[in-house]
Amino acid sequence: MPPTETLRLGERGGAAAGSVGGAGIAGGGGPEQTYIIRQSNKCYEHRDSQATAMSVDYSGQWVLLAGRGYLALQRLGQDDGSLRRHERQSKYEVSVAEFAICPSRKEYCAIATSQNIDIVRWGTSEPIYENSLRGHTRTVTDIDWHGKDPNLLVSCSIDTFSHIWDLREPRKPALSLNAVCMSGATQVGFNRVSGNLLAAAHDGDLRIWDIRKGSCPTHYITAHLNRVHGINWSHKRETCLATASQDGTVKYFDVCNPRRAEKIITTMSPVWRARYTPIGNGLVSIVVPHLGRGENSLLLWSNSKQTDPICSFVGHTDVILDFAWRPNRESSTEIELVTWSRDRTLRVWKIDDHMLKLCEPAAEEEEPRFEPDLSELRVPTPPEFLHPRTLMVAGSLPISTGDGACNTLPMARSPSFGGYCRREESHIARSLTDQPTCSLHHEFSLLNTNMPHVEVDMLDAIKRYACFRICAGGHTVILQVNFATSYPSPSAPPEFQLCQGTTLSSEVSGILLKVLRCNALQRVKKSRTCLEQCLRALVAAMKKKVAAVGGGGGADRSQLLLQSPRLEGALSSALHDACIPYPRTSGVHFNAIGMLTTFAQPVNNKRLTLRQHSALTPRTLSAINGSGLLGNVMATAQRDANASFYLQERMISGKPGKQRAIRQMNGSPVVHVYDASSLLHISRNMAREFSLDKLNIAETCRRNGEICRQHGRLDLVPVWLLAELIATPQVRHETLNELLFYKDPFKKSLLESLIMHYAGSGDIQTAVLLACLFDKCPTGGGALMDIASRLPPQLNAQISPYHTVLPLDVKSSSSSPNTWQQLKQLRSNSWSDSLDLEVKHLQSDGYAPCSLIRRAKVPLFDQFKRAYAEILFGWQLLSKRALILKHTQNTPPPVQGVEFVTECGTCAKPKRTPKCEPCKRPVLFCVLCRLPVRGVANACLACGHGGHMDHMMQWFEKHTVCATCGCKCLERTSELLALLN
Amino acid sequence: MVSLLQEIDTEHEDMVHHAALDFYGLLLATCSSDGSVRIFHSRKNNKALAELKGHQGPVWQVAWAHPKFGNILASCSYDRKVIVWKSTTPRDWTKLYEYSNHDSSVNSVDFGPSEYGLVLACASSDGSISVLTCNTDYGVWDAKKIPNAHTIGVNAISWCPAQAPDPAFDQRVTTRSTAVKRLVSGGCDNLVKIWREENDRWVEEQRLEAHSDWVRDVAWAPSIGLHRSQIATASQDRHVIVWSSNADLTQWTSSVLHTFDDAVWSVSWSTTGNILAVTGGDNNVTLWKENTEGQWIRINYESGTAIQSKQSSHHPHSHSQQQTQQQQSHQQQAPSHPGPSSDSEHSSNLSNSQLSN
Repeated sequence: MPPTETLRLGERGGAAAGSVGGAGIAGGGGPEQTYIIRQSNKCYEHRDSQATAMSVDYSGQWVLLAGRGYLALQRLGQDDGSLRRHERQSKYEVSVAEFAICPSRKEYCAIATSQNIDIVRWGTSEPIYENSLRGHTRTVTDIDWHGKDPNLLVSCSIDTFSHIWDLREPRKPALSLNAVCMSGATQVGFNRVSGNLLAAAHDGDLRIWDIRKGSCPTHYITAHLNRVHGINWSHKRETCLATASQDGTVKYFDVCNPRRAEKIITTMSPVWRARYTPIGNGLVSIVVPHLGRGENSLLLWSNSKQTDPICSFVGHTDVILDFAWRPNRESSTEIELVTWSRDRTLRVWKIDDHMLKLCEPAAEEEEPRFEPDLSELRVPTPPEFLHPRTLMVAGSLPISTGDGACNTLPMARSPSFGGYCRREESHIARSLTDQPTCSLHHEFSLLNTNMPHVEVDMLDAIKRYACFRICAGGHTVILQVNFATSYPSPSAPPEFQLCQGTTLSSEVSGILLKVLRCNALQRVKKSRTCLEQCLRALVAAMKKKVAAVGGGGGADRSQLLLQSPRLEGALSSALHDACIPYPRTSGVHFNAIGMLTTFAQPVNNKRLTLRQHSALTPRTLSAINGSGLLGNVMATAQRDANASFYLQERMISGKPGKQRAIRQMNGSPVVHVYDASSLLHISRNMAREFSLDKLNIAETCRRNGEICRQHGRLDLVPVWLLAELIATPQVRHETLNELLFYKDPFKKSLLESLIMHYAGSGDIQTAVLLACLFDKCPTGGGALMDIASRLPPQLNAQISPYHTVLPLDVKSSSSSPNTWQQLKQLRSNSWSDSLDLEVKHLQSDGYAPCSLIRRAKVPLFDQFKRAYAEILFGWQLLSKRALILKHTQNTPPPVQGVEFVTECGTCAKPKRTPKCEPCKRPVLFCVLCRLPVRGVANACLACGHGGHMDHMMQWFEKHTVCATCGCKCLERTSELLALLN
Repeated sequence: MVSLLQEIDTEHEDMVHHAALDFYGLLLATCSSDGSVRIFHSRKNNKALAELKGHQGPVWQVAWAHPKFGNILASCSYDRKVIVWKSTTPRDWTKLYEYSNHDSSVNSVDFGPSEYGLVLACASSDGSISVLTCNTDYGVWDAKKIPNAHTIGVNAISWCPAQAPDPAFDQRVTTRSTAVKRLVSGGCDNLVKIWREENDRWVEEQRLEAHSDWVRDVAWAPSIGLHRSQIATASQDRHVIVWSSNADLTQWTSSVLHTFDDAVWSVSWSTTGNILAVTGGDNNVTLWKENTEGQWIRINYESGTAIQSKQSSHHPHSHSQQQTQQQQSHQQQAPSHPGPSSDSEHSSNLSNSQLSN
């Protein structure tokens, strides 16, 4: 073990600058690098260990290394370097292992494999499995212990959920945080200061939760353009955290201000982890070079200076998988860094006072210059000069531990330069055999291990191969997939092999392999991973083969769908279901006429869901099963008729107990149809019988009351009695019309409040009948009636009792000239003053003629009538509907299409009425009988000749040409109409 | 008060998610996870008149268009498609239009008021709302999309009834045709949003916040012309909230109808807008009515037998729960009965008491 050693890089850097300067890429500049290079204090080699996760316990004495099938403890501070190894039963890689960070639970650790988390207590010699936390449906990606409460830990998973577990109640999560997004959670972390906040990373986004309010995140942070690999909360400031991302940046965020990062460290390569130093003001990051040159890239940064790292730790020859802080319980000013790399060495690095001091904000500028003993530590290189050095490394291929010192990777600042580097790197990538397993690791961890029909036998990201057993369509296929080192680059699809145990003929095998290669190529062409797609395609193809043998066509469809680019993305992430609401098992629906449909089904599937922890119905479809429904839907063209959509997955996964549940679903769902119209106080039978006879309103009211009694609506009988009273003349010699016109404010307001009450309480039938019955009275023999009916409607509305000259109706623009003329006409001759007075009187209290309804209420009541008419339409009582609509001031709908307009022969104005009022003569004369037309008329659109419809019909039964001009009316008219359509 | 007309065995191979009667109450459409829509005669328990196949996933909802456009039905599905079906006879259905421009499951469809023509709104889990308008003369469909209507996803959609022209102004055709179209939608962001069409674009007019979990269903109450609007929203948070506003739709006040035992996922208004039907995860159907004090009371329909949903065997205790609820609603109702009232009020109480017996 070499002691702490600082290397001077001045000379080397200078030499490098010379060589690259010759290549004409970078300007020289005086060598003045300002960061420390440091080698590890201790190194433990474990050649036989393939650990994927590492953790340091609370005391700082033990390091846990966990890999597939074993756990191992390494004691730090003892130089024997031996590993205490314990086997465990698991075919999956360990994705995370974390020692508890509270002293009261210091012997506990949490180990995540696949979807489960095991809580392990380290006894004197053996690990004791305390609990298994089950709740996730896909691979667990990260675990974090609560800093204050020793019982709490949080885990996050590809299934998008973050679960908070309480070890005192390990059967289900104490709190489930549902991120509801397309991407699974990759990192999670408790706040180190308060422990109330929690951050989870989903691709490039962060969600900040407050565990006191678990229903939705308190903040969304769109942190990075690419996947976030590491989250770390500040040990000092409650709301601050740092994130490391694939996009090559480390960002400092304050969650109170989530819009922009406070500070950004930019590197050229993806950053795997970034963690605050527990003491001091620093941050350590691991950079993973894109194409995995075996350089180490562990850098210490000052939080106040993002341009250059403070220190670089060199020694590892391969990608650093993880690191942890080793607390020094004796000294609070010193800490150590423990790193585990894929070169299978465990290294310990001391971070001393000096370095921590350098991290302090004030120190960064002054100290290098004024402290002589520190200046020795520094290798002077100007920032611009860092790039050539990188290049030099890139150019000099052999990468050895000895060269590691100059492999420290500074940040890219000039874009052109970065581009050059990348080209160089990709060149190297092709020549290197030792490739990173990062992306493959990642793909394996994302792989849905619950895929129907597919069993995962082996996933080895290091040897770069995977084995699957696929049982579908009555055949078994053992598939081995080898991944080339450059996978998934366009030229390197994985190799597929059908191994021994495959029960297919060679011919079929060939077709299947072709399907696999096709699918793989399609994805790989775009540099995308392809494993899951290939497996799904294979299952579909196997099923199709069987279907083809059975004579079933139509299965091609699933294949087509699989290849449609649109769905492709969705197939890979069946996580879509997380935002689709849980299917309704019951429903209720009113239709337009008060009929009610209801259905409800027993919810067996509730019991099948693993994730359901409470009695409440889950909210998302993904609760039904963790794996994607969509893939299932698309892939299975024919479904077993007896199998439920929601139970199918479970059936396939071969749990016999569940099949009984399907049988319990007794029969098919039943829908009930109810008549709820009586709840709405409407009745079709009553509607059919009600009368609106206005000759004797009182009598009509009595009859309607009787109808109500017959149909059991006794509550309405008094109302009709009241209505009858309203309609009955109070004074002996009062005529019907006078009764309606005059006075009796009591009757008016009583009627109005009756109508409003019934409309308000929903009994629209009664309200509308009352409104219609007392609306217009077409009867009457008095002179008053005649005048009122002779008045055009606009006039009625506009006449004011205080004007001797009638106002011009400005609103009714289209008809205003007519009205005006009409008015003049009326005033000029036939109107006597007394009549004028009558009219005024009639209008003075604002009531429509012959009506007990106030004019202001008419539009509202018309709405009621239209609503009721719609119900009558639904009941198909069309004549009743027409009767009701007759009582509205309904303007006819605008004429669409061709309209026949006649022109007055005298004033040459177009008229829509049979008679020109100003000229006092009819406008249309029948071409056959020469008499004016008052009723239905027809005319030729071409020549304009026409007349009474009856006459026209008779004429054209025998003739084809016009009676006047010889025009071929029928043909031409139909031609014109066809043109218009 | 509510009489069972027919029990229809749908013979669907999987769960039914929605059932709706057409305008006349003659045809029943059901949709199911087996990917099909079935049409039944509502008064005869015969085999399905027709089975409409076209979806490749569970069908979530169906909606009937107004009969003046013909027999038209829309269905939406998990397979991201909306299909509009048309029939000439009840047994003979053809695909009129297929819309597949959503990127995720389409959860809800609703036909607009017939005054606006044949127009259909669709809500999808991709977070957007589509408004499909059919030019009935040419049979051409035009789609307008509201992107990012709700983050995460839109779960439900409902049309505002065609607005009555303001009686203060003249009410001729011009004002009617320019009636403002409005939609209400509910989504996974726990919000209810009201949208208004403005110059061919849909703009967010209101944002109603009260739910604490996903909004599962929204329903705009049909209007008989009274100058108020009501919207019922059901949510995963077990609440049904009724939002009311005056005619100008600017101020909305919320009142919680009831807190249910389980998530609520379906609300439906009666035609006259005074009765609300609710159902949810506990599979109980309940009917609610607002009394004169503005409280919502549960209507007791014929001693709980007539409309009670078939209970699954897994909830043996839910019967008793329902009964206690009914008792509670009795007690709630009781204070509204006595008290001095005018003639008209008296008669309305009569009808109320009939309801509860």
